Amino acid sequence: MKKIVAIGFVGAILFSYLLISAADQPAVEQEPYDEDAYGPEALIIWNEPVKGVFFSHQLHTMEMGLDCESCHDDLFEMEAGAAEGQDDFTMAAMGDGMYCGACHDGSMAFDVNSQCASCHQQPEDAIVWTKPVKAVIFEHTTHSEDMGLDCESCHDDLFTMQAGAAEQADDFVMASLYDGLYCGACHDGSTAFASDTRCTTCHIGVRGYARLMGEAETPAHGAGH
Amino acid sequence: MKINELANLKAESPDTLPSAERRNFLKIGLAVTGVYLGGTVLSLTSVVDALAEGPVPTAGKYPYSPHYTMVLREHLCIDCELCKEACVKTNNVPSYGYRTTILERRRDIVGGEKETIFMPVLCNQCNRPPCVRVCPTTATWKDEKTGIVVMKNSRCIGCKTCMAACPYNARYFNEETRAVDKCDFCWESRLSKGETNPACVEACPADVRVFGDLADHNSRVFQLLHTPGSIVWVLRPETGAIPNVFYTNA
Repeated sequence: MKKIVAIGFVGAILFSYLLISAADQPAVEQEPYDEDAYGPEALIIWNEPVKGVFFSHQLHTMEMGLDCESCHDDLFEMEAGAAEGQDDFTMAAMGDGMYCGACHDGSMAFDVNSQCASCHQQPEDAIVWTKPVKAVIFEHTTHSEDMGLDCESCHDDLFTMQAGAAEQADDFVMASLYDGLYCGACHDGSTAFASDTRCTTCHIGVRGYARLMGEAETPAHGAGH
Repeated sequence: MKINELANLKAESPDTLPSAERRNFLKIGLAVTGVYLGGTVLSLTSVVDALAEGPVPTAGKYPYSPHYTMVLREHLCIDCELCKEACVKTNNVPSYGYRTTILERRRDIVGGEKETIFMPVLCNQCNRPPCVRVCPTTATWKDEKTGIVVMKNSRCIGCKTCMAACPYNARYFNEETRAVDKCDFCWESRLSKGETNPACVEACPADVRVFGDLADHNSRVFQLLHTPGSIVWVLRPETGAIPNVFYTNA
């Protein structure tokens, strides 16, 4: 009986050694990426109409098994930046089955109106509005990472993703916020601090703006005589 | 000399003086020092009255009519500087100077965060203006009716003593007029022409700057400064200039 236990014990040690050494073995070598077959290896990055949208050829061709003809040239011309130049290169058009929306319809691939962050990179730099007053700051990271909000919490019901779109609206004023529009949807005093309190949390002023833009500390009509 | 009698004479050394005598002597010395130091650096006069009164004058004790006053609701200021833009336009302020400006302060608040406080600054139209006292040519004085500290450019010799005397850094030398320029609550450009508010007040989108007659109990400035429980402060009260620009977070 003792013998069996001893053999079992030695066996267990040997087996675990084998397991460990197997894990140390170099992984199966990856198939080299062939740009002729799979398209450009580098990510495609669009900055129009919104900044920081990514597309990976590798993910769609090599990993998902699509052909070049799946998208070229019916959905996308092969010329770099061609789609960006089009007026209809928008989420709305994709929702109608154009561009990415041809597959990203919720059945073939995830719907274009879901999983925003799969393609859209959230801006790392602060959004700075200079209209109607100079200057108001918004940090995506504070709201998404620290507060745990989703893109859908604000986009596109409260803010469209287009840079500077809110500034163009006549109602992008504090009074609208008090009525629950824009930031006021959450900044109402219960979900987040009320928008008629702590003004300088978002309003960085002309001085803060100059600092952000790396301008001299004392601009015209400055604080020094 | 009768050496032996000397030992019996009364000593003239200070240890034999009565302490009342010594105290009187020291008091004279301190009083003289106090006078020479101008009474503000080391004052032997009581400051109890000054502290008890606070920065806001007691109702009814306003020397001017209208007693022009500005109340700055500091917590609302967002440094958009529309006030500065309006002032520059209205009063032809050159780029190297200002009649009003915004200062910035940062302080630590709970949660390891920082809070920014913007502080609008302008001429405080002091009741005891140090700038007026030092002007050698009476180019600047306190208007007897409105209490506004005004300038007469033709009398200014550009010595800039007033700029050094001002506790609020509210004066600058205008190269074009060759005279010191300052905020006059837009008296020349607006109030004397029938307008009721200075340009900066009109331009402020956040209702930070409130202007009016402190002698009028129905005016907003009077009400802001006499709201129960509100805290009102002035800048650099220790100078004794008795400013007419007040700050509050009400």
